[in-house]
Amino acid sequence: MPTTLRIALLAGLLALLSNLAVIGFIYERTHDDAVTGLHRQVTEQSKVLTDVYRTGGRAALDEAIQDTLAYADPQTAVALIDSNGKQIEGNLAQGPAVQSMQEGFHSAIIRLRGQPSPHQAEMVLSRLPKGQWLVSGRLVGEGLAFRLTLERSLLLALVVAGLLGLLCGVILAHYVSLRIGKIAAVANRISARDLSQRVPLSGAGDSFDRLGAQINAMLDRISNLMEELRLLTDSLAHDLRSPVTRLRASAHAAAETSDPVEQEELLTSVVRNADALIRILTTVLEISRSEALTGRNQFAWFDVGELAAELAEMYDPLADERGASLNYKAPTRPVPLYGHRQLLAQAVSNLVENAIRYASSGGEIDVRVRPGEKQIRIEVGDRGPGIPLDRRQEARKRFGRLDSSRSDEGAGLGLALVESIAHLHNGELRLDDNQPGLLTALELPVHPPQPAR
Amino acid sequence: MGRKILLVEDDRETSSYLAKGLSQEGHSVEQATNGQDGLFRATDGSFDLIILDRMLPVLDGLSVLRALRAAHIETPVLILSALASVGDRIEGLECGSDDYLVKPFSFAELLARVNALLRRREARVDPADHRLTVGDLEIDPLSRSVRRAGKKLDLKPREYLLLEYFARNEGRVVTRTMLLEQVWDYHFDPGTNVIDVHVSRLRRKLDEGFEKPLLHTVRGAGYMLAA
Repeated sequence: MPTTLRIALLAGLLALLSNLAVIGFIYERTHDDAVTGLHRQVTEQSKVLTDVYRTGGRAALDEAIQDTLAYADPQTAVALIDSNGKQIEGNLAQGPAVQSMQEGFHSAIIRLRGQPSPHQAEMVLSRLPKGQWLVSGRLVGEGLAFRLTLERSLLLALVVAGLLGLLCGVILAHYVSLRIGKIAAVANRISARDLSQRVPLSGAGDSFDRLGAQINAMLDRISNLMEELRLLTDSLAHDLRSPVTRLRASAHAAAETSDPVEQEELLTSVVRNADALIRILTTVLEISRSEALTGRNQFAWFDVGELAAELAEMYDPLADERGASLNYKAPTRPVPLYGHRQLLAQAVSNLVENAIRYASSGGEIDVRVRPGEKQIRIEVGDRGPGIPLDRRQEARKRFGRLDSSRSDEGAGLGLALVESIAHLHNGELRLDDNQPGLLTALELPVHPPQPAR
Repeated sequence: MGRKILLVEDDRETSSYLAKGLSQEGHSVEQATNGQDGLFRATDGSFDLIILDRMLPVLDGLSVLRALRAAHIETPVLILSALASVGDRIEGLECGSDDYLVKPFSFAELLARVNALLRRREARVDPADHRLTVGDLEIDPLSRSVRRAGKKLDLKPREYLLLEYFARNEGRVVTRTMLLEQVWDYHFDPGTNVIDVHVSRLRRKLDEGFEKPLLHTVRGAGYMLAA
C-alpha cells in the first residue's frame, strides 16, 4: 500500500474515531428509555390486535380497534388499512401510503381524526393474512420528537464526518508527499552522483524545513569529505609512486647484476624504499585514526613538562650532530594533562624533527611548555626559513609539502599528523612567525575531552 | 640452545617462512592456524614463547591472550599484527603481551625480539648475581655505576639505561625499534636516525681508547653488545 494512501486512511480513521467519540457522548447523554418504551408500547398493542384477528377474525378485530380507540389515551393511533391504502377502520385522518411500505417500525408524520395539525409518530406496521395492514402507533411528544430527530442527525453526522475525515486525510497525505517528494527528489539526484544538489527550503521554518536544512548540512559535510578524500587519494597515489618506482628499479637492477657488492647495495635500497612506503601508510592510518577520534580510551593523566623534557633530551644529540642547539625551558611546576601520552610524544617529536630539519646550521631550537589558565601550549621554535603566511594552510594538509625537492620519507605528512593529534585532544596546531623562523605550537585545552564510552 | 615456540598464524606462507627461519636458529616450532587451536595447544604451558597473530580465524589473537593470562599461563607472548597505529600497539601490550611487532617486519627484527623474550625468561628462571659483565665491562644496576677494565665510565642516565639494556641482551641483536620501545618507552616510528645518534654517543664513551670494541653494528638489523 503506498504511503499516501496509508496516511489518508489513517487520517480518515482518526477523524471518524474522534467524531464517533463526540457523537457517542451526545447520544449517551440524550438517549433515554422513553423512545424504547414507546416502541414497546406500540409493539404490544399491535401484537394484541393481531392475536385478536387470528382468534376472532375480522369482526373481532374491528371491535377491538374501536374499543382501543375508545379507552386508550388520545395519543394512540390505530388503523386497519386495505391493500389499496384505504382505511377500513381506525383514527388516521392523514398518513403515509402504508401499502407500499415494509413491515416493522417507522417514523412518520400523521394527523389523527379530530386533531387540527399533523404530528410526528412512531408506529409499527404488520401485514395481516388477507393483505390488509394493521397500523399501531403513538404520537411523539415535543421533547421526544427532538431527541428522535437528534439521534437520526447524529447518525447522519457520523457518516458525513467519516467522509470529511477521509477527504482531510487525502489532502494531508498529498501535502506531506509533496513536501517529502521534494526532499526525495534531491536524494534521488544525489544518488545519481550529483552531490551539488540541495533541498529547497520553503522558508516557513517548519519541521520539513528543519529536516531539509539538516540534510543540506549533512550534504555539505559529505561533499567536503569527498573532496578531501579525493585530494588525499590523489596525493597518496602520487606519493607512493616515487618510492614504488625506485623500489622496482632497484629490485630489477639487483636481479640483473652479477656483482655481489652492488647487488647487496641494491637490495638494501629495496628494503629502504619498502620501509618508506610502510611509513607513509602507517602515518596516513594514524592520521585517519586520530581524526576519527579513536584512541581516547587510552587517555591518562601525565606531566607534559616531563614528556617535553624527555623528548628534548632525546633529540638534543641529533640537533647537536646537525649543527643546531636545542634548548628546553622547563616550566616551574608540573603541567598535568589528560591525554594520549604516546601520540602527543609523536606529535612533539614530529615538530622537533621538523625544526631540526630546517634549522640552519648553528641555529637555535627552543622547546617550551607554557601552562595557562585554559590551555597548555607546547612550543617548538626554530630559526630556519619559516613558512610564509599564505602557505601555512597548505603546510598542514596531508601531503601538502612546500618543498617539492623533498621526495621521500613521507615528510609531507608530518604536520598533518600533528594537527590530527591536536584535534584528538580538542586542541589546535598553530604555525607562527618566530621572527625569523617557524614557531609551531600545540595548544591543548586544560579541560580535556572525556573518553568515549 | 633450542627452545619450544608456538606459532599461531593463519597465513600459511608467513607461518612456514617463520617456522623455517626459527628452526634454522635451533628452535622447535609448533604451528597452529586458528585462535582456538592456538589456545588449546598453549594451555599446557610447555612452551617457552608464543608468537601470536592478532587477526585469526575462530578466535582472535587478543582473546587468546586474555584467556591465557586469565588462566595464569605466563608464557611470554609476542604479538604480530598488521594493525600498526600507536593505539593498536598500546592495546596489544595492555592485554598482557610481552612484545608487539607490526607487519610487515624483517625476520631479523622478529628474531631479535624472540631472542630477547627467551632471554628474559631465562633471567627470570635463574636470578643470577645482580651485576652484569660483558668482557671487561662491569655494570652494577644497584648503584648504576659502569666500569670498563676497572676505569669508571661517566654516563648520562639515558646512556646508562641504553647500556644496561644492551648488557641484558648480551650477544644478541637489538634493533632500533626495540631500543625506542624498551629504553624510551615510545611506540612510534621516528623519521630520523635519532636512536643511532644515541648509540654512537654511547659507543664513543664505551669503546674509545680501548683496543677491542664491545658495541657492534649489525648491518641491516641493529646493534649488539658482545665481548
